[in-house]
Amino acid sequence: MAWITTVDHKRIGVLYGVSAFVFFLVGGIEALIIRLQLVRPNNTLVSAQTFNELFTMHGTTMVFLAIMPFSAAFFNFLTPLMIGARDVAFPRLNALSYWMFLAGGLFLNASFLAGAPPDGGWFGYQSLTSRQYSPGMNIDFWLLGLQVLGASSVMAGVNFIVTILNMRAPGLTLMRMPVFVWMTLTTQFLIVLAFPPVTIGLVFVMFDRFFGTHFYDVAAGGDLHLWQHLFWIFGHPEVYILILPAFGIVSEVLPVFARKPLFGAPVVIYSGVLIGFFGFGVWSHHMFAAGMGPVADAAFSIATMLIAIPTGVKIFNWLATLWGGRLRGTVALHYAVGLIALFTIGGLSGIMHSSPPVDLQQTDSYFVVAHFHYVLIGGSLFGLLAGAYYWWPKITGRLLDERLGRVQFWLMFVGFNLTFFPQHYLGAIGMPRRIYTYGPGRGWEFWNLMSTIGAFGIALSILLFAINAVRSLRHGPPAGADPWDGRTLEWRTSSPPPVHNFDVIPPIYGRDTFWREKHGDSLGRKPTPLPPAPEPHGIHLPAPSFWPIVTAAGALIAAAGALVGVPVVVLGALVLVVGGWAFALEHHRNPAHVDQTGNLAVDHRKLAMWVFLGSECFFFGTMIATYLAYKGLSVVGPHPHEILNIPITSVSTFDLLMSSLLMVLALNAVQRGDRRQARLWLFGTAFFGVIFLGFQAYEFTSFVHEGLTLQQNLFGSTFFVLTGFHGGHVTLGVALLLTLWILDLRGRLDVRDSTKVEVVGLYWHFVDIVWIVIFTVVYLIP
Amino acid sequence: MSAHAPASASHETHASVGTYIRVALILVAVTALEVGVIYIRRLTPIIVPLLLVMSIAKFTLVVMFFMHLRYDPRPLAAVFVGPLVIATLIGIALMTLTGAFLVFGR
Repeated sequence: MAWITTVDHKRIGVLYGVSAFVFFLVGGIEALIIRLQLVRPNNTLVSAQTFNELFTMHGTTMVFLAIMPFSAAFFNFLTPLMIGARDVAFPRLNALSYWMFLAGGLFLNASFLAGAPPDGGWFGYQSLTSRQYSPGMNIDFWLLGLQVLGASSVMAGVNFIVTILNMRAPGLTLMRMPVFVWMTLTTQFLIVLAFPPVTIGLVFVMFDRFFGTHFYDVAAGGDLHLWQHLFWIFGHPEVYILILPAFGIVSEVLPVFARKPLFGAPVVIYSGVLIGFFGFGVWSHHMFAAGMGPVADAAFSIATMLIAIPTGVKIFNWLATLWGGRLRGTVALHYAVGLIALFTIGGLSGIMHSSPPVDLQQTDSYFVVAHFHYVLIGGSLFGLLAGAYYWWPKITGRLLDERLGRVQFWLMFVGFNLTFFPQHYLGAIGMPRRIYTYGPGRGWEFWNLMSTIGAFGIALSILLFAINAVRSLRHGPPAGADPWDGRTLEWRTSSPPPVHNFDVIPPIYGRDTFWREKHGDSLGRKPTPLPPAPEPHGIHLPAPSFWPIVTAAGALIAAAGALVGVPVVVLGALVLVVGGWAFALEHHRNPAHVDQTGNLAVDHRKLAMWVFLGSECFFFGTMIATYLAYKGLSVVGPHPHEILNIPITSVSTFDLLMSSLLMVLALNAVQRGDRRQARLWLFGTAFFGVIFLGFQAYEFTSFVHEGLTLQQNLFGSTFFVLTGFHGGHVTLGVALLLTLWILDLRGRLDVRDSTKVEVVGLYWHFVDIVWIVIFTVVYLIP
Repeated sequence: MSAHAPASASHETHASVGTYIRVALILVAVTALEVGVIYIRRLTPIIVPLLLVMSIAKFTLVVMFFMHLRYDPRPLAAVFVGPLVIATLIGIALMTLTGAFLVFGR
């Protein structure tokens, strides 16, 4: 039960790790079946349909259910320890993120039990995923599962951004943070910004499949490229979401086992941030074969070549860290060096793809399969395994068997290269990816056989890792607090750490603070001991909670309901709303929650809301861009100028603007402690919100009567989805406002709660500014 | 930056009620202008940039005053404005690549 209700970041980290390992095994078994099918020509182990399902679920599982949550395990367990915090900013939200992840993973894999696993590729290209070409539930499992997983990732992303920016120990400035924490921060920004576009893309797929809209319907004026853009606007940052944590891990492992500081640490940090930033500008290199034209091809080609620069900088910095170091050949160091070697190979083949003419020769061939496995196994997985060997003693308190670990490493290294290096050659001689079989006499047999043998080598290696882990847990030697002579704060506490992490918040002496504390600076001068940081609230640990798992269960039920029937959707939504409500009010009057001001002199909740609104910019930005991209492309009427009622919408716009005024007056009153006015203005804001929704209901109804429905044309699809989602946000805002108002009526809202009112107000004003944009681009611009 | 700020730092002084009301009046006036200019034929050649400028002005006013970004610590502006700018650029690129905006020869 303690694990079900836990909100301890360390336990949640362990839950992520164990779940990811189980899903990794599932994805690995799928890979082995794929390799067995391709071991010889004309093999009949599985059918073409099963093969499609296997490679779809293998890709989806490895990306979303294995590598990402493996990274999340490290984020969770280590980030608070490395920054000298007692937990994350929002422990219950952290638990909710985990349970949502588990719900999404179970839902996706339940498709096997339903006999309908997703079969459209992890990329889900249109029109493979349209109802016409995929009438079963396969794609529904995929798109609903991904949306649940996306919500989990964004919640976790917001949480970790706030934790890192606002909960560092005194003295731990940003540039003193460990590189792993920097890469965690960069990754979280990528997550909160990259997931909304694909969420919107999936919403469009869902509406096309469930409600007959036309987002990807070419006959109605839609554009299949839209999906590819939305997917890869997410998909390429996703590559960095998968690789940057591994880069962070390697940047911690190398200095410890080379016994010297990371060479050019600030440059490694800047490079990681630059990689994340450039990651948003290269997505269309995945689409060179889609016919974008020479200008777009050239632009994305240049951007892709540019991103190689910061990546190369990191490689050289890691090598320079090793150079002249007193190396200790631990398994963790083996994996870290393995990453440098193998990721470099994957990176170089990636630069080859940045050239459109070369890419056109390699696209959809096994060369690409080899490339991205060098990046995601040689890079991500090797980095994560380096982290697993490095931090295992901290997490469990016991050491792994280094000798068995070295056997495991070499088996993995050889097996991996035997599996994937030949695939470069297979691709170069013409073997396409995603084919379920091939005829003899093409010169593909031998290297496919080798590739399959190599895959079983990887499997054996993973089995050895599992044996090592179990043996360590049962009777591994105790690790002690600092078995590697570590440099960062997590090694300053016991292994495993106590529930409160540190008895006193550790003092910070600079970068590699724990090393400096133990060994002094480069000249051996030890710092003058600093007094412990004051903790005005004492040690406050969050209480366990049932509500995260209840809320996640609501999401799972609602997703399942979409496949079963509306009553189940309603039931799921009910559980979600009740769970969310109870979740929000669980600690309403907890004195320890009143002041959550952190390093940035801002309350955690306020910072979280601003980060979330940044994510929402991508959410609505994607929908608005889609509306504009599709403007004027409807093949039948009614068209916007025939139906939009500007005078009425002007009134509703006025109403929403005035609601924002009432909102700031409400906040002002709460801050002054004027409860009567606070009640009045809070209710007034909600009331104006309801009036806005009334206008919207009237508008929608009259449009339907005039012949404009979701299904009528492209304009109807884009208009109703854009304004409907905005209306959904207004509805949520009204619910939040009425909650505050009811709290006020019951005497449970006063000046101590002004941050809550401010946070709700920020959300409300954001809904207002989104409408300001919609009003202009949808209603006013001809 | 590094040390925890005192609790009072989170309750910065925001705008006065008078400022809020003035901002609201400007928002109403600009909205009226927006609706008005679309009926003036002579403005047709510049109507799109004109409407966009007015919309951006309203957007900025709400963010700066009602959302208090003018008064709050700069990192808050960074975590919002950064994504806003990137999202806008990606949106423009998306429209360009789908042929609806700045059409290159495809």
